[in-house]
Amino acid sequence: MSTPTSLEALIEALRCLPGVGPKSAQRMAYHLLQHDRSGAARLGEAVGRALQALQHCQRCNNFAESEICERCASPRRDPTVLCVVESPVDMNMMEQTHAFQGLYYVLMGRISPLDGCGPRELGLERLLARAQDGVVKEVVLATNFTNEGEATAHYITALLKPSGVSVTRIARGVPVGGELEYVDSGTLAQALRERRVCQT
Amino acid sequence: MQRQRADAQPAFVLHTTPFRETSLIVEAFTRDFGRIALLARGARRPRSAIRGLLMAFQPLELGWAGKGEVLTLMKAEWQGGQPLLTGQALFCGYYLNELLLHLLPREDAHERLFERYREILARLGADPTGKVREADLRCFEKALLQELGYGLTLDHDNAGRAITATAHYHYRMEQGPVLLSHAGEAEGAVLGRTLLDLGAEDFSEPRTLAEAKQLMRSLMAYYLSGKELETRKIFKELQEL
Ligand SMILES: [Zn+2]
Repeated sequence: MSTPTSLEALIEALRCLPGVGPKSAQRMAYHLLQHDRSGAARLGEAVGRALQALQHCQRCNNFAESEICERCASPRRDPTVLCVVESPVDMNMMEQTHAFQGLYYVLMGRISPLDGCGPRELGLERLLARAQDGVVKEVVLATNFTNEGEATAHYITALLKPSGVSVTRIARGVPVGGELEYVDSGTLAQALRERRVCQT
Repeated sequence: MQRQRADAQPAFVLHTTPFRETSLIVEAFTRDFGRIALLARGARRPRSAIRGLLMAFQPLELGWAGKGEVLTLMKAEWQGGQPLLTGQALFCGYYLNELLLHLLPREDAHERLFERYREILARLGADPTGKVREADLRCFEKALLQELGYGLTLDHDNAGRAITATAHYHYRMEQGPVLLSHAGEAEGAVLGRTLLDLGAEDFSEPRTLAEAKQLMRSLMAYYLSGKELETRKIFKELQEL
């Protein structure tokens, strides 16, 4: 049995989505063509439009419709504090805390030496330029607490040191509402190592 | 193909790569089975119990079963006692892992090397400033070559004469140290003292440390067949900052 080429191309194209194997791609393709042709059209248009309209904000590197995104242009944000995160999802998590009023820089990745992703691949010179705009006083490193996140934080610290900007790292420890009984050993061990003197 | 099964096997994760939607392929260095690849099913699910556990440089105990080239991870337990690596020490850790991934063939037990690796990670983690310990790296490179059957000749030259501390030598692959009439006779010449110190793992002499670094670099390059290590590139970039 031969499959028409355009259908094959669609199935192949859907496989670029994370976690979509040949079977799910085939299921998706048949669903779109048989049951939801208008949905398929919307999807096609939306992908095309997004590709055309979205660019990286010149200041925070996140996706934006304009050269400088709304958040970076907002007068209500504190431009002296710059928070560095690995991904847009991480930035959204930080925003949900309502505890941060500064601006962001989204790396769109992390240093992972064994995956061949180094400082150059990550374009860290753009972060250096951003942090040296003369307004930023503190850079808060909110990369993940994985080896790769730590490696990234260390490299950025070394990179920014000569510029005189103060560099801080978010703290790690037991989650709020976390009962020790249910906290993983690694987190608990690190929280113990990084214990502080109690103030009265 | 033979079925394999292991329980509570001391191990370190060398590297993980995403596999399918929610799984990971884990390259692990184990005490009794050497380097193996394990499939960790569902390890990338948000609530996976082993999600945060399969982290490089942390002592674990792994259990697996299966046959063929990829075995299935059944159990992973955190052993603790090893602080997370930070700073330059973290990049040293990556360097060790990169060497193991490139040079250590799969499923050959290397117990002594495993112990060496564990000791060096412990020392790297014990220094909160995360400074590079060049001496540790040299010891590991030497132990790795030894385990692979490329042990260095450090007490006599290619003509069987004992090494003289004050003489100059050129270390040739497969031949060992060749005595030179003067230092400028060959590129990368080292002092006899360096060879003796490297044999005794005594790096108190700054010249030994510097020459041993050059010597080991050329040896590693030879055994890596010219492949450039990613961690070395990053080390270089870090130094240039
Ligand atoms: Zn922006």
